Amino acid sequence: MNDLRPANDVRGIVFDIQRGAMHDGPGIRTTVFLKGCPLRCAWCHNPESRALQPQEADPVRPGDPCVIFGQEMTLEDVMREVRKDRIYYQKSGGGLTLSGGEPTVQFEFCRALLRAADREGIPTCLDTCGYNSPEKFLDLLPSVRLFLWDYKATGQTLHEELTGVSPELIRKNFEMLYERGASILIRAPLVPGINDSEEHLMALAQLVRDHPRLVGIELLPYHDAGLSKFDRLHMPRPILNTRPPDEDTKARWRDFFRHSGTSGGLANITSKFA
Amino acid sequence: MGAPEKELMMLRFQFRNLLQPVKSGDLLTGRIQRPLIGFCPELRYQSGLGYVCQEDEIRKAMAQMSLKPARREQVMEALEFWRTESTQARTRAACPAWVNETLSSDDRLLESGKAFCLYRMGGTQLDYGKLLELGLPGLRHEIESRQTATSDTEARELFGAMLGALDLLAESCRYYATQARGLAADCGDADLTCTLSRLAEMLESIIVRAPATLREAMQLMWLYVLMSGTWNYGRMDVYFGPFLSRDLENGVLTVPEALELVKALWRLMKDGNECQHNNRVYVGGKGRPDEASADRFALLAMEASRTVHLNQPQLSLRFYKGQNPMLMDKALEALGEGCTFPILYNDDVNIPAVMHAFRVSEAEAMEYVPFGCGEYVLNHRSVGTPSGTINLTKCLEIALNNGVDPVTGREIGLRTGDPETFDTFEQLWEAYRAQVDRCVAALAAQEKIEYDVAGTTAPFLFLSMLYDDCLARGRGIFSGGVRYLGGTLESYGNTNAANSLAAIHELVFRQKKYTLPEILAACRANFEGYEHLRQDLLAAPKYGNDDPVADAMAVRVHEHICHSTRDQAAKVGLDSYLTVIINNAMNVTFGRQVSASPDGRLRGEYLANANNPFPGTDRQGVTAFLNSLVKLDPAIHAGAVQNMKFSRSMFTTSLPKLKALLDAYFAQGGAQAMLNVVNRSDLEAAMHEPEKWGHLMVRVGGFSARFIDLEPDVQREILKRTLNE
Repeated sequence: MNDLRPANDVRGIVFDIQRGAMHDGPGIRTTVFLKGCPLRCAWCHNPESRALQPQEADPVRPGDPCVIFGQEMTLEDVMREVRKDRIYYQKSGGGLTLSGGEPTVQFEFCRALLRAADREGIPTCLDTCGYNSPEKFLDLLPSVRLFLWDYKATGQTLHEELTGVSPELIRKNFEMLYERGASILIRAPLVPGINDSEEHLMALAQLVRDHPRLVGIELLPYHDAGLSKFDRLHMPRPILNTRPPDEDTKARWRDFFRHSGTSGGLANITSKFA
Repeated sequence: MGAPEKELMMLRFQFRNLLQPVKSGDLLTGRIQRPLIGFCPELRYQSGLGYVCQEDEIRKAMAQMSLKPARREQVMEALEFWRTESTQARTRAACPAWVNETLSSDDRLLESGKAFCLYRMGGTQLDYGKLLELGLPGLRHEIESRQTATSDTEARELFGAMLGALDLLAESCRYYATQARGLAADCGDADLTCTLSRLAEMLESIIVRAPATLREAMQLMWLYVLMSGTWNYGRMDVYFGPFLSRDLENGVLTVPEALELVKALWRLMKDGNECQHNNRVYVGGKGRPDEASADRFALLAMEASRTVHLNQPQLSLRFYKGQNPMLMDKALEALGEGCTFPILYNDDVNIPAVMHAFRVSEAEAMEYVPFGCGEYVLNHRSVGTPSGTINLTKCLEIALNNGVDPVTGREIGLRTGDPETFDTFEQLWEAYRAQVDRCVAALAAQEKIEYDVAGTTAPFLFLSMLYDDCLARGRGIFSGGVRYLGGTLESYGNTNAANSLAAIHELVFRQKKYTLPEILAACRANFEGYEHLRQDLLAAPKYGNDDPVADAMAVRVHEHICHSTRDQAAKVGLDSYLTVIINNAMNVTFGRQVSASPDGRLRGEYLANANNPFPGTDRQGVTAFLNSLVKLDPAIHAGAVQNMKFSRSMFTTSLPKLKALLDAYFAQGGAQAMLNVVNRSDLEAAMHEPEKWGHLMVRVGGFSARFIDLEPDVQREILKRTLNE
């Protein structure tokens, strides 16, 4: 149905547009957050992204008006915002990042945005958990300059336990895109005591060794800054027996990759340790 | 007695108490304490120009002294005399009735009003290059030759007084030389004796010959500065650069020694002559003849500011595409450490802007040097003292009350119509425009009169000796000597006026959700009982978000005040008369006297600073903020300033992105930037007043977040981390 409509009439549900984003891919970017996510990660910090439809939340400060997460926008609505920062993309090597939620959940909208940006010469990033059909990712491939690809947990059972889905499809999509020459940056959230086992770190290192054309790995340390959003949405806070990593933990992670680095291929590991 | 001789007499009189002693360890010297009655171009924190009498200070001092009745009587007589004879009083008296009515009060700090005069001859930038090249004897020789050659009696009298002023300058060198010798003899410390003896020798030698070293050049420049009463120092890398290069090449100085000298000068600027709103030093930019030497000095100056840990001087870096990139790198290094200097000025935008605004050639525009809080003048060839201030939010308030100031109940504006009768937005705009234009016309007239009075009162000898064309014309700077006689008008409350107009436009005339009287009633009630209405006002488009509607109103307000000002120049007989939109505490002072405004701002709350969005209302990210800023045309005013705060990590791990961001801002027409690092007190303020800090983004783990939306414990964690960085 959607395909029959003129492309600029495609609509989607957007829950935030962050301009001047400095941490969602190369350069200075505009990050568009689409609603809807098939995963239920134990450390989720964007609970407002899970449901596809707009939802109301309590304000941050009592007395302020309520907040609506999610707003229907047309392709043109979004592109109008995205175009405003073209000069910053050009100067910094930045562009548009689609994030979420899982941006491919609203597939038509996601594809239309990526294609529109690509057509206008705005470099695109897709920040994805990788959980969707291979056909869809293949369809998106030509208009994605860089995939920001999550790698969340090692081991079938643990992955299911921590994200709610099997890693198989995600891995299959990853291999497929890699084979076809996609540029991929792995983003690995590290949650102390939950997914940061030696096995997991070794698997990450191995992933890089096996895929020398990977753009790199970004290690994202766990934080709990999103927890209050669960309260505001009247959702139960996830029970997760952890804390944001202390300096020793971060040092352990850093050291692990520094030492694995001798085997080559790990030069592009960057840690987003604040 | 003629005006030049009279000024000289006053200079000689005040000289006896002007200079403050040398301090042990001084590498350079020169500190002053201005007498309470005397002669100077401007005062530190108060009004005053030419012959000044600080009556309040004198009364305060008298209250603490036990004076004999006869002596007291004498002082009272003197005060009485100066009440009409000070140059400020004479300026006030020279203004026609309509100007005095429009600008009824001179107490801008305490009284409510829409426009005020500032009495001063501020922002002069002298030709220190000429002083250093000629030295004291050379300058004396030039003046003597001109005196011999001319038959113009007025000029001869002027030159005679100038020679007397130069004697005082020489006297100041001798004063410090004698002191240094005395201290050297008494101190008993070999190293210190050596430093002091050297200081004395240097002071004696600059009386008899032109300076040969950087040390001598700095000493002569600084004593001249103090004698002249000016507070801005032009393009320092141009005039000190060659001395630095020569000294380094000849082995007279090492780089660390040169750095210590610059820091010594910075300390004197802070110490003896503190004035946070002035003390401008320029480095970098187009039009520097010996660019390599100038760059060398520029790097040294930035290193001095980075390491001296003072809030003075206001070091500013001009830059252009193709300039040695080490200068900008050094600037970002200093700024990233929280130094706040240098302030950045983009020549590629400013030079064409100055050509247009001042109507001068490219070669002259290249010599632009902002002084004080950021008002541009042309180095030693134009003046542009900011003698007027206008509060645009107050002007709008008065337009909305048909000429009456609701804070005082007094009618202080034009009767521009009862707002209840306004059927269209354009009627409101007309009322606002008329209020502003009336004030601008009065301020322009006052500015010209102030120059005329200054010019007939005194030649301002020390300024005139180092200002282009004064010697050739044989006239004092304000008596026909200066090449370009310009003026500036400080405009405040621009953003709140624009946001208020935008909110009225949106809610009253477009959505028709409220009537104008409803909005006015809510403002009068400081929104008590009108909370929903206030939420709607706050939600209306705001400048600073790259929003086409709000920004168009900001542009309209900006262009109106700038053109209104600029158009006055020809009418009053100035070479230029231009708006400045600058950064100081007046936005707070003026805000106290403005009731709640239709942008949702509360009664007495500060106004937005300079060209910036109102705190907390720019919420679309830094690129949107910058895009809004560049919509305000820089080619129709004489300076506007922009504050930007970034987290420390932008200067470290994200430095390439910061550079790209600034690059894009400057390429789009950004003229100026004052960069700051977000610090602990900012975050604490944001925790207490979240509504003012909606723009503050911080990094949390793998993502950036709006600080005010985080939970208190997360905020505290960030606070701790910021402190550690």
